[in-house]
Parts: sequence; structure tokens; C-alpha cells
Amino acid sequence: MANWTTAARNASATVLSVDTWLPETMPEYAQGFMYMLGSLTASSFVVLIVSGVILAANGPATWSYNAPMRFAAAVHFWAVQAFFFFMMMHLWRVFFTGAWRGGRRETWLLGAVALIIAIPTAFTGFLINGDFYTQWNAVQAKDGLNAMGLGWVNLPSAGQMFGMHVVVLPLTLSIVIFGHIYRVRRKGVVPPYPDRHTSAEKEDRHGNTHRR
Amino acid sequence: MATRIDDEMVHDYQYVPEDFMKHLMTTLGIVVIMVLVLAAVFGVPEKPPLTIQGYATKHPVAFERMATRDLNGHGEIANYGPPYNDGTGYVESGLQKLSGIWHPINAEQDFILKPLRMAATLNPRIMSALRTFESASRARQITWANNYEKALGGHGRVTGDRVIVPAGNYGPVPALITATWQLGKSGLMSGALTRNPHVVTRFNNQDYVLFLEGAPLHHAAAPLHLLGDQWGIIHAAVPGYPAAWWMTIPTWIYQWPFVAHSKAADAIALSLGLGVWLLLALTPWIPGWNRIPYYLGVYKLIWKDFYYRRAQKEDRHDVSPSRFPG
Repeated sequence: MANWTTAARNASATVLSVDTWLPETMPEYAQGFMYMLGSLTASSFVVLIVSGVILAANGPATWSYNAPMRFAAAVHFWAVQAFFFFMMMHLWRVFFTGAWRGGRRETWLLGAVALIIAIPTAFTGFLINGDFYTQWNAVQAKDGLNAMGLGWVNLPSAGQMFGMHVVVLPLTLSIVIFGHIYRVRRKGVVPPYPDRHTSAEKEDRHGNTHRR
Repeated sequence: MATRIDDEMVHDYQYVPEDFMKHLMTTLGIVVIMVLVLAAVFGVPEKPPLTIQGYATKHPVAFERMATRDLNGHGEIANYGPPYNDGTGYVESGLQKLSGIWHPINAEQDFILKPLRMAATLNPRIMSALRTFESASRARQITWANNYEKALGGHGRVTGDRVIVPAGNYGPVPALITATWQLGKSGLMSGALTRNPHVVTRFNNQDYVLFLEGAPLHHAAAPLHLLGDQWGIIHAAVPGYPAAWWMTIPTWIYQWPFVAHSKAADAIALSLGLGVWLLLALTPWIPGWNRIPYYLGVYKLIWKDFYYRRAQKEDRHDVSPSRFPG
């Protein structure tokens, strides 16, 4: 059996490489706003983590009597809006460009998994806020989870939701996002579809030129 | 071997210099400024919760009726089913039954009788009503509670600090429910519902949140358009603010008539929603569906500049004697 340490060293050399994470060149087609959407999503996630750590360090209900914490809660709220907004825009871009081509199917799958984990991650945040939205959604949404056989997830229990929102789900989401971005960096962003129509039109144009 | 359309791509492209750190710092800067401005201008949407004390104070008759339904087993949680108890009111699937009772709630005991036993140490008159109720047969308890629930629904009215109903066969139920109402009005009910003598922490507020399930919360949610058939999942409790708009597809599925009218609406809607996600997640492996972006052609807009430069380059290559014989 191969040496585990050697295997780990080899894997780490790629995963932790500056060539992987800090490229100095990009494909010529991967330019412009459309190619900022993934980074904007990741940046929103960074803001979520930072504002979330501030909220967690002070306690989940401090926003209700402490003005700076209320502002931190507002930043966290708008950051999650930004996160989903940019993620959806990014999703449209990668869908319309067939981003799974050329051995990038797993990258796509990890992105989709990130989306499905992001939903309960955000939702459990709403559930520990403590206002009417929390109260109503805890009571309403529990029926869906119970119906799916997930009754152990107790939405009306703030303690369980706190653990889910602050540790379990963001940690899982971070790992999936890391895997997604790692694969994007290793495989590169998908090259364009062949411009067949352009070529065909050009041939046709040239043909007409010849006939003249 | 021919390349499949769903896997075709150009190969003759170049790499151009890129300052990736600047790119990342730019996107981070954009997001930081954006959320700071939004937070400063709009704050955070907070709708005060519906408290047990608030509901008991404003809706005495409805409060008593709700509490009585916990005694006769008609209450939303009293008859819910797994994961709370053996009820049948909200059992939507075999999976739900199979998952078992994870968070046991005996609504009669946990919501009414246990809090009253605590209150009885302050008000001994409650104790005699409790003893009478607990020493009666279950059938008799239910008869008393049914009669009182019916009387409250038809004739309940508030006089002073009491809810009055016509005389009837209610046993000790009016005394118990009046005491529950008074406990609710005092604000002590929330503490009684979250009490756990084994730990000093109060992480599990399940009973407090579920106590008002049913009519109280529904009546509070309806004017805010938060009900399921009002597309409530994607609405904020404070009008004008965004909420979980990313749940639009599952919310839409909830509106489909065959889903909305089903007793297993949640199970069906969430299963279909999961199916939509699977379609998305497995896109690369689904023949036909994975070619859709190619046929839609939106990619031509996204890579417009790339194709333009490429066409120009090809045009320059095509400047040949055949085009310009001479």
C-alpha cells in the first residue's frame, strides 16, 4: 500500500498551491462582470461569516436591546440577500454557458449542493432571530420537515437551530464551497461553445463573395 | 470520434494577464460597501412576536378556547402526531410515522396541567380543580372540555376579568382554563412552558413556540400575507423587505391546486421541490437537458467579445489570394 504521508503531501501540494489559488493569468474569454458573479457570491459569504461571528460572539438576542448588534444583524441580513442574489446570477451564467463541459460536471454538482445547503443555512438564521417571522416560520415549516421524516430537526427549538445555523450548516456549506471553488481553480472556467454559426455564416458570406 | 454537443468547446484560446487578488478585493469591496449602505439605510426587518401574554390579554375567549382544546385532545399539537405524539392530525407520510416521536409533547399535561400545578402553589384554589379533573375518567374529562369548548365558541364573552359562558356540565374545566388564562396574562406562562429542572439553560423553547400554534398564529399571519396559500414563504413579516425569495419555486408548487388541496401538501410540495433541485444538480448527466444552453444561445451574448475577436482574427487569416485574386 502506498505511503499515506507521501499521498497526503502530494495532494496538499496541489490543494495548497499558490498556482491553484492565486493565478496570474486567466483565459481570454473569462472577462467582465459575468465572471465576477462567483467571486461576488464568495465575497458575500465572507461578509456573512464575519458578521455572523460578531453576532455569535455576543449572543443571538443581543440585537433586540443593543444598537451596534442590531446593525450587525442588519449587515448579516443584507449579506444573505446579496449572497443569494449573486449566487442566482452566477447560477444563470454557469447554466447558460454549459459550465459542466470538459470534465467540470462535479464542479457543477458541488455548486448545486452548495445551493441546497445554503437554503437551510439561511432559514435557520431566520429561526433564531426571535421575531414574528421566526415564530411563524418555525411553526409552519416544521410540518414539511416532519412530513419528510426529518422530525429530529426541531425547528421550534432555538437551541438546536442555533447549533445548526452557527456550526453544522455553515461548516458543511464552507466545505462544499471550498470544494466547488477548488475544482473551479483546478479545472479552470469552461471554454466557450464552438462558434459554429459564426463559421457557417462566414462560409456563406465568403461563398456569396465568390459568386459575385 | 465526434465530440458530443454537450461537451464541445473551443480549444484555441489564450491566457491573458490577470490580477486575481485585485479581482477578489474588488468583489469583496463591492459587497462590503453595498451591505453596509443597505444596513445603514434600511436596517433589519423585525416584526414583534405574538406573545402568549399579548394574545391572552387581547383575545381572552379565543385564548380559553385554544387552551381547552389542549385538554380534550382537539388542539393542533395535542393531536399532531410524530415527532411530538401519537396523534393523527398532521401525519402526512409513512416516513413521518416511521421517524418516530423525537420531541414528546403531551399537550394536556405540558401546556395546561403542569403549568397549573406550579400556579397552584400561589393560588391553592387551583389545586382542588386540578384534583377533581385528574381524578375523573378520561371520557368525563373530554366531555367537560368538549362542552366548555362548545360553549366558548358560541356564547363566550368577557365580563371584567372573567370569561363567562352559560351554565353547563363543564366540571372543573372553567376553573382550570380561567387559571390558565390568568397565567397567560401574567406573562408567567412562557417560563412555565420552557421549565426544565435538569438544566439551568433554556435552549429548548419548543413548547413556548408551539403553544400558540393554530388559530392565534394564523390570525396574526394572514394580514401579513404569510399564509401558505398567500405565497407566504417568500413574504417578509415587515412589508417592503425581501425575505426568502430564493424559495419561489417551492412556494409556487404549494399553490398548485392538487398540492394545495392535498392533506399531504407539505410532503408533495417538498418532494417536487427536491425533484426540481435534482434536475438542476444532475443537469450534466441528463441527455438533451444538458444541451439546452447550446440551443438557447444565450452564451453568444456572454462570450460576444470573445467570438467577435475570434471572428476578426479568422478574417485576418482569410485574407488570401482566393479572395483577392490578383
